[in-house]
Amino acid sequence: MSKPALLSLHQALRKCFQNLENNQKVWESVLAECSPLMVSLGNLAEQSRALSNTQISNTPLRDFPDLEERLRFKLQLSTDTVLGKLNVNMSSLQSVRDSISNQVSAVVHLYEQNADILDLLTVTERSATGPSVSDMMGWLHDAERHFRQQFLRRKTVLQTLRPDDLSLLESAPKRWKSLESPSAGDHIRDTLCKVHFFIESQ
Amino acid sequence: MSLRLLSVDPSDRGSQRCRLGPGLMSALGLGLGSPLLVSVPGGSCLCTAWPRADLAEGFLQMDLKCSSPNLIFYPPSQLYLDPGQLTPVPCPKLKHVKITVVVQSVDFKKHTPPRLVQELVKDMLKGVYVHNKHVINLMDFDTEIRYVVIESIDLESSSAGLITSKTGLEITGIQTVRHYWSQLQGHHTVPVGGLDEVSASLREMLQLPLLYPATLNSLGVSCPRGVLLQGPPGVGKTLLVRKVVGEVGASLVVVRGPEVVGSHPGESEEKLRAVFERARSAAEESPCVLFLDELDSLCPKRTGSSAPENRLVAQLLTLMDGMNQSDRFLIIGATNRPDSLDPALRRPGRFDREVIIGAPTLQQRKAILSVLSARMPVSPSVDMAELAQRTTGYVGADLSALCREAAMHAIRENSKSSGEQVVGMQHFQEALKAVGPSCLRGSLGKTELCPLSWDQIGGLDEVKLKLKQSIEWPMLYPEAFVRLGLCRPRGVLLYGPPGCAKTTLVKAAAGSTHCAFLSVGGADLYSPYVGDSEKALAQLFRQARACAPCILFLDEIDSLIGSRSNSQTPNSVQTRLLSVLLNEMDGIGLKTLERRGTEKILQAEGAEENSTQKQLECQEVCNKEVMVVAATNRPDCLDSALLRPGRLDQIIYVPPPDHQARLCILRVCTQSMPVCADVCLEELATKTELYSGADLENLCKEAALLALQEENMEASTIKHTYFLRSLGHMRPSLTAQQIQSYQKHPR
Repeated sequence: MSKPALLSLHQALRKCFQNLENNQKVWESVLAECSPLMVSLGNLAEQSRALSNTQISNTPLRDFPDLEERLRFKLQLSTDTVLGKLNVNMSSLQSVRDSISNQVSAVVHLYEQNADILDLLTVTERSATGPSVSDMMGWLHDAERHFRQQFLRRKTVLQTLRPDDLSLLESAPKRWKSLESPSAGDHIRDTLCKVHFFIESQ
Repeated sequence: MSLRLLSVDPSDRGSQRCRLGPGLMSALGLGLGSPLLVSVPGGSCLCTAWPRADLAEGFLQMDLKCSSPNLIFYPPSQLYLDPGQLTPVPCPKLKHVKITVVVQSVDFKKHTPPRLVQELVKDMLKGVYVHNKHVINLMDFDTEIRYVVIESIDLESSSAGLITSKTGLEITGIQTVRHYWSQLQGHHTVPVGGLDEVSASLREMLQLPLLYPATLNSLGVSCPRGVLLQGPPGVGKTLLVRKVVGEVGASLVVVRGPEVVGSHPGESEEKLRAVFERARSAAEESPCVLFLDELDSLCPKRTGSSAPENRLVAQLLTLMDGMNQSDRFLIIGATNRPDSLDPALRRPGRFDREVIIGAPTLQQRKAILSVLSARMPVSPSVDMAELAQRTTGYVGADLSALCREAAMHAIRENSKSSGEQVVGMQHFQEALKAVGPSCLRGSLGKTELCPLSWDQIGGLDEVKLKLKQSIEWPMLYPEAFVRLGLCRPRGVLLYGPPGCAKTTLVKAAAGSTHCAFLSVGGADLYSPYVGDSEKALAQLFRQARACAPCILFLDEIDSLIGSRSNSQTPNSVQTRLLSVLLNEMDGIGLKTLERRGTEKILQAEGAEENSTQKQLECQEVCNKEVMVVAATNRPDCLDSALLRPGRLDQIIYVPPPDHQARLCILRVCTQSMPVCADVCLEELATKTELYSGADLENLCKEAALLALQEENMEASTIKHTYFLRSLGHMRPSLTAQQIQSYQKHPR
């Protein structure tokens, strides 16, 4: 009697993992788009720093009226542009995260509906080609947590930037880069490998 | 079947998972990810249940994402849990939660808009099961937001729930981690006994500006912001500050002298400025106390022109002056050598108040002892009041050493005869021998007494009675003394011919009460430096007062302290010592630093005091003075000013023993000797007219030696003839004329 429930749960898991695989690719491509933007953000911060360090009135450029203000305006404008692009990327990252979250919660919901029928023996049963339901659900949770963490950390880096604090702006690319954790990405790839047969077994 | 608690798997960190065997899970009726409350000693932890990857039973691994605040500091480890400690809890979806956010740095708190914090926290908490009053650990997100404290949830039926994206979060406050931790640790303060008055005044200073800021503003005054605690070492100055800070929930910034002082010029000042800055930023969140321990080492008197300390002192002075109205932190300094502080520190505006914590009084000692022994298995036979009486001059640190020592004795004894661990009175008595009062440590006249009972002195009943009256009675019957308006005599002079047990009497008197006993002779006091002897005597009195009731014994006072009338050199050491003694015995008052205890605490609502309490109080009133006991055999050489009432009030003549007394003395002396049956002590007593007590003791000794000499070493008894023969060799040391001269009253 638990068979149909288990099958539908398997089906949901399969769908979820496929979705995860796709989303993982999207995530990585978005991140790849972000890194040059972060570098240019750092550059702009450096230029602003250089601008505040120079006394334009002591240079031959003093004849140009309002040069410093104009330059600063230009820099701020381009910083805004870069931040705007990053924001667009962030929203696509958010949509990736949300889609994963929704999928996972749908699977959890399905399990909870059938929790009475699926006893622990069934959900912890492994086979040669497929991991147990509990393992797979655990992996899904792990993956979801990874994306949430990553998104949150990156969001914090961008949201805590302040126009008056140049050092924060300068260090942003570095901090952005330090958030990349290849091991976590590998973990997800590993998971996808582990469930490969299970997905194929359709 | 018990469960072994293992540390959490690294991949599970931050997942709120609790890994346990599938068998146990189905026994508890848990599904995948069902919420589960695990109670461990010291708190509980809310987890989601997951089967272990290896499906093994008997182990438990849990992630402490949502746990009681205690478990953050003391994570459970190496534990065996009972399955009964795991309870599945229903976790409905929450509609509304009130939380406090704990962030890493002050900067983040200052510069981050609340909207952003709300957004971030909401993202972080989504899908987390929370329990009321638990702390959610958000370290794994690796942002500035470290913890979230669940203040209240909207459910009545259940104390736990699930946060979803629809849950409304209300942030009631943002704190820094440092402040949050100090608040948590504030709950584990050690209780302090006997310092209620001082702690109340400190608490008032901390809380007034917070509770009634408007009142203070309208009065146009600022609350005092500097307190200097002074008192002998070990009275609990540091402990008191920690206790008050813990009670108020203030944060504490501690400055230790050596930490601040650096090797480069200007480094120390910079560190000091940084400390003040830290206190200022901490004061923005909550009341804050900047505690300068051992202030005398940090701020000695400024001397010379180029000493590096001078700059440090100057920096501290300017920093304390530079505190403006808006800086709401309190500076507390503690020192046991207030005289060596720079005088500029001790003016209002810097250290406004000076609080003197003296050596504890009897009542305070009782309070301290009951606090100390509250966590010890003390047998009901131990009488704290008696113990407090016997520990005169002990400060808090001594008392805690005493309790520790008593506990150690109990352990040693019980380890032999595996009984139950109870600390009894006999253990405290053993400990009393080992732990002495620290104010007497290194004191001049501290003497070890072998206890001597009154019965070991033959005869002299009248003298004994008088001594008992003046020394024992005020200790034993204080209420009677207070009722009749009596006070204990300031001093007792024993005079009489040499060898008549003056010193022994004093010993017995000291042994019969439990006062501290100090004895000095010329060797202790005299010194080649001018003024040194006087200082030593004054110091001796100071120490004696610190551990009052105390008996100060001056043997051979005639040679120790001269007389002004018949001395050849009017300005000799003896006369100067005499003046010190006269002053100390009946001086104008005490120095402020020597104050004992604190003022009487007002009894709220006129609470009834019980009778033992009253008796203790009376005793304290009666026995706060030092009693001087002097002995001399030349009373005519003493200065008349010393002999007047108010100084040595009781003048007791110790007469040479009469017939009855001699008989008693002989009986006492021969008690340990195997005397032959034919020995007639009556006859010996008749024949020893004018013999002093010392002579009689010598007589017995001689007789015993004679017995050994005559009968070789085999002598087993001392015959009467030996007594008579040795009596033949001896002469009495007193003469009738001598005794005549003592009969005249010396006053």
